Amino acid sequence: MSTRTTGVVVTGAAVLLPGADSVRALAQGPAAGGDPVEPATHVGRKGLRYKDRATQLGYALTSAALRDAGLLEGEKDGTLTVAAETVGVVASSNFGNLDTVARALDTIREETVTATSPMDLPNASSNVIASSAAIRYGLRGPNLMVCNGETSGLDAVHWATTMIASGRVDRALVLGVEPDNDVVRKLLGGGHAVDGGAALVLEAAAAAEDRGAAVRARIGAYRRSAGEQGADQGRRWRLPEHSGRASGANGVIQCAAAVGRFDAGDREPAHAVVGGAGDDASAGLVLLAPGAAR
Amino acid sequence: MMSRPIIGMGAVAATGSGVDELFESLCAGRSGRAELRGFDRTRFRAQHAYEVDNRPAEGEDVPRRATNLLVEAIGQAAADAGIGEDLSGIPILIGTGLRELRSMELWWREGSEFTDAGLHFGTGLRERFNADVTHTFSNACSASLYALALASDLLGQEGDDTPDTVIVAGVDVLTESMYGLLERVHPVPPDRVRPFDRNRTGVLMGDGAAAIVLRRSDAGAPRVHGLLRAVAVNCDAYHVTAPSPEGIAQAMRNAYSLAGVKQSDVDLVMLHGTGTLLNDEAEATALADVLGSGADGPLTTAVKSMTGHTSGASGLINLIVGLRALNEGRVPPTVGLDEPVDEAASFRFVTGEAAAGEQLRVAQINAFGFGGINAVAIVEGTR
Repeated sequence: MSTRTTGVVVTGAAVLLPGADSVRALAQGPAAGGDPVEPATHVGRKGLRYKDRATQLGYALTSAALRDAGLLEGEKDGTLTVAAETVGVVASSNFGNLDTVARALDTIREETVTATSPMDLPNASSNVIASSAAIRYGLRGPNLMVCNGETSGLDAVHWATTMIASGRVDRALVLGVEPDNDVVRKLLGGGHAVDGGAALVLEAAAAAEDRGAAVRARIGAYRRSAGEQGADQGRRWRLPEHSGRASGANGVIQCAAAVGRFDAGDREPAHAVVGGAGDDASAGLVLLAPGAAR
Repeated sequence: MMSRPIIGMGAVAATGSGVDELFESLCAGRSGRAELRGFDRTRFRAQHAYEVDNRPAEGEDVPRRATNLLVEAIGQAAADAGIGEDLSGIPILIGTGLRELRSMELWWREGSEFTDAGLHFGTGLRERFNADVTHTFSNACSASLYALALASDLLGQEGDDTPDTVIVAGVDVLTESMYGLLERVHPVPPDRVRPFDRNRTGVLMGDGAAAIVLRRSDAGAPRVHGLLRAVAVNCDAYHVTAPSPEGIAQAMRNAYSLAGVKQSDVDLVMLHGTGTLLNDEAEATALADVLGSGADGPLTTAVKSMTGHTSGASGLINLIVGLRALNEGRVPPTVGLDEPVDEAASFRFVTGEAAAGEQLRVAQINAFGFGGINAVAIVEGTR
């Protein structure tokens, strides 16, 4: 399946990874040996207790991307500059709540259900990243959690684009995040996950224009299929190996890197590609610089 | 929003496999409730669930049960629609609350084989149906209706390379972690699902899967089961587990508006009706508010009283049962509903025997999930 989507633009982006805390730094790196992301330094300590790492990272990315897009203003958690119903959320993560599931299961097996914490209930639901971002920042549009394997991040961008193009919502935050922890490391056979992620604000071109928002990139063709994606349709960018497995965050991180490159004045289209022959499918998405010819 | 024909259906739950068997069991008031089949019961206070009885041995769980139920439902729907078993290039949108987390649990505790490629359903569907445009959405208990909304948006796109056919599915099986945490928050461990009853004790999970084949137009379809008029989706942005009547009511109003129907056009409401203390009152408050003086108009029922809470599958199971009800004029009862809560006192619940001989055209399907993610679909029968 492929779609040639037009009329959807990127008006905000954010990244939080060890070694990169801006889209421009991401496009250059990220550097090896960076410190772990500390969500409390970005959004304060309030409300982080009982939230899993993925949800905390999601809060920090949501705040940063909405502010970057001019949709959130003011102190603390801020205030939306647009109607709450006009902002949707599409989040992507594969490993998000595996730690909660494993911990609750261990408690049930080793003690009994009575020893589990009721505070774990929301975190046991895999959509907690998407819904928690919406609750904290008051985003009342469609709220979607994509857990679709290696292609998940680009799929999330695709579904945000689809909902905007169909007129279901004017704009959507796209969040890609993967936490690192013992459960994830065991699942990855010893490797580690990125322990961070990226976020984008996608918006109908007309809605962006109405509020005078700067266009940072335009969304081009998306394709998901078995096997590899074929010839490059723009510059490829890859997260360095030392950053770890990006999984469901990968596609969103690649899009954020493209925005970083466009912000620096480069006009060459970007071709984000995730998944491949070893996975159930691959996906590709073309991003165009603002104002560049199609 | 354009109406889209539903040309194939498949479903499996504790109460039966295949749409015919499932619907007849529900109309007969047969419940799928039984003692826990796959877990060590000594670990839990609650002892019952609504599981599909397909494990090789009592008390022993096996991996990939969710994938297997999903494959069963999709296979039924594809056969019903006459589209064959090679589903390459056809988008398959799967709504689920818990993905293959049960397989992950068995890997974590018992060392069964598992990799990260097995968390979502694309890998299994590629193996079975050669499917490559698969999307797993983990949207809690409204997941399959959310997937339906996206399918509708996809079919609404213009262009040579947009699909004519989309498969929408929903699936969930019990996980030990979710079963345990759900009973943990109930003061008294739930014993059975009694939606909207004032003496209900809460929710119990069920296994289930459902699938439909949705098409851009009915040209060349062997049969049309009904029309999808519209699906509305939103988020309360209120609380991680507690629902908001205002958010739910807004989703219902949006659905009527998108579908171009009035409240008074709705003949049947397939309620979400989980039997939790919070959901049923919030759902009833929202529906009563939206229907206003016409609250005693549509028939209402909640089949989770027989299937248990099938989480991500439940919206689509409700849709399939609802369409069959429209087309046959028969509506399954809400088992175990003796005394409705005050908020639902004015509704026309089907209780006891199934309703029969009804003239029904339009049904409303409700699905609400943790995080306040609400979905409401409007479908039309063919009778």
